[in-house]
Amino acid sequence: MRDEAPVSPVFKAVAMLTLVLLLLPVVIVVLAGLNAGEYLTFPPKGLSLRWVTAFLGSATFMSAYIYSFVLALVSTLISTVLGTLASLYLSRSRSGAAAALRGFFMLPVVLPGVVLGLALYIFYVTTDIGLARTFAGLLIGHVLVTCPFVIATVTASMVGFDLSLEEAARSLGASPWTAFRKITLRLIAPGISAGAIFAFIVSFGQFETTLFLTVPNHEPLPMAMYISLRYKFEPTAAAAGIFAIALVALSTVVSSRLVSLRRVFRA
Amino acid sequence: MTSSSERRGATRRGFLKGTAGLAAMGAGVNLFNINHAWSADAVYEGGVFDAGGATLNIAEWGGFWEEIVRKEMLDAFEKDFNCKIVYESSFPWFPKFVAGGPEKPPFAIANWNYGEMFKTAAAGDFFTPLDEVIENLPNAKNIWPFATATGVGVTWSYTRYCYAYRTDLVDPPIKTFKDFWEEKFAGKRGTYVTSNGLQMDFFIAACALFGKDQYDLAAGYEAMKQAMPMKISDFTGNMQTLLERGEVIVAVQHDAEVYQMMDKGIKVAPYLWEEKKPILTQTKTISKYLEPVQKKLAYALLNLTLDPKLQSVMCEKFYQRPVNKDVVVTPNLASKGVTNTADSTAGYWTPDWKSYNENEADIVETVNGIFAG
Repeated sequence: MRDEAPVSPVFKAVAMLTLVLLLLPVVIVVLAGLNAGEYLTFPPKGLSLRWVTAFLGSATFMSAYIYSFVLALVSTLISTVLGTLASLYLSRSRSGAAAALRGFFMLPVVLPGVVLGLALYIFYVTTDIGLARTFAGLLIGHVLVTCPFVIATVTASMVGFDLSLEEAARSLGASPWTAFRKITLRLIAPGISAGAIFAFIVSFGQFETTLFLTVPNHEPLPMAMYISLRYKFEPTAAAAGIFAIALVALSTVVSSRLVSLRRVFRA
Repeated sequence: MTSSSERRGATRRGFLKGTAGLAAMGAGVNLFNINHAWSADAVYEGGVFDAGGATLNIAEWGGFWEEIVRKEMLDAFEKDFNCKIVYESSFPWFPKFVAGGPEKPPFAIANWNYGEMFKTAAAGDFFTPLDEVIENLPNAKNIWPFATATGVGVTWSYTRYCYAYRTDLVDPPIKTFKDFWEEKFAGKRGTYVTSNGLQMDFFIAACALFGKDQYDLAAGYEAMKQAMPMKISDFTGNMQTLLERGEVIVAVQHDAEVYQMMDKGIKVAPYLWEEKKPILTQTKTISKYLEPVQKKLAYALLNLTLDPKLQSVMCEKFYQRPVNKDVVVTPNLASKGVTNTADSTAGYWTPDWKSYNENEADIVETVNGIFAG
């Protein structure tokens, strides 16, 4: 049994307050989506499922929801693979270029999303490479924005990584790929999982970068919500928010479970 | 079905294009310019034609608006003309036009409110000259003159600027533009952020009515100062919420939203500005540099937009006023006293948007400062 220093009541109170502040917007969105009134207001004018029903029956919102899910899923897969590879290089390279590359990879997070989206749009249009207002063009934008989150979390999980474990596997006859798969990948799996969750959340809720890269006939959910609020200010947008929060929560739980299962399997 | 004009044009164009193409290859001329020469030759005289599966890029509002426009017009248009509509609703359009330049327009047709349309028109040779557009719109013969008064696009529906006020909380009712500044409305009146078109029109109208003319910015700034404190909203939808809750009891609005609120049972009424009568328009432009078939499709779609049947749908669904003289106003608007006559449409006022856009940076900075207190 470990001896742990007691947590001071002040620290606990601050932590609790912070948690409440973080969760409050979620609660407001959920209650606003269950509003019985005509407009998106808080506190709600009674509780009703009318706007949830409206969301489920809206071709615009449902297609936007599915489109955002697919977009986030694909960009997460690509970002996770590319981000993990980049992290491995950055954490193991002794080259002076690694530090510069680390900064370079983080640039999309530093740049305002609108600037990045507009820059990409202008690049696509002026070079005429057929990416303007296409799914591929939008996907590139999302990968650029989400990749840094994977790099950051995987790089963090590589700190203090004991290379001798991998070397031991190699000395016992494992190929480089087998050593990586059975040793390194399993040890950094939590970092990859966390990065993938971040990537999914960021992509699913991405608005600024998407603004200039949106594909005609296909609006991602944040765009559909913005448009709805702009013209009608109905609680349907908040109802859509409930389903967005649910999806993100579900993906987080599923990812955590997958990592845990992996640990169980490994044990 | 193929129109006679197209059959005639195809033969003549075929010959000329072939000749021009050969000449251009010899001279090293950019093929784009040949296509441009042809786009000017696109003629639409009404009726339906086979576009051969061509794509038409359009920019228009999204959400419920898109659902209705698709259902009432675009779905049938795609079938009738054998074309594919690519619908973009991610406003704003201005940067998308400017990013590609006039020769690579992102849309064949774009739907605008005035401010951004004039800004885009000033930024380059993006739009087909209005005279040329009107020549190709048979339904334009029946529209009110103000619908083409901008010289840039064709206004196909509109609403009137007004104040929305709570009938149960404002007594006596609002009677003039300047009533908004009455002391009793302090903290209970509402307008919008400076990027919102309603605030732009409100500001210009205040310049005109409190100052020498619409260019009297100092008078406008003073009017905004005198109106403080007031609630500043992002969108009209949000203002509806503030009005419903009674946090705002008089607000800058356009009449369509007030009528919708009235029909939802909310105790509001409009005061339509009479001293100056700006209108919130839905105006469409057709891009200049298009392939001939796209331009012809664009003419056909815009022509259909001016059709009395569709105008009636917009009246009924969105409380939009028609520009076609033949439209009988639908009951939801008629019950509010809206008519579609020469008298009722006379005297609409278009602010000098060129001047506003030239001074926009100063106006935005100054008014934002006033709103921030």
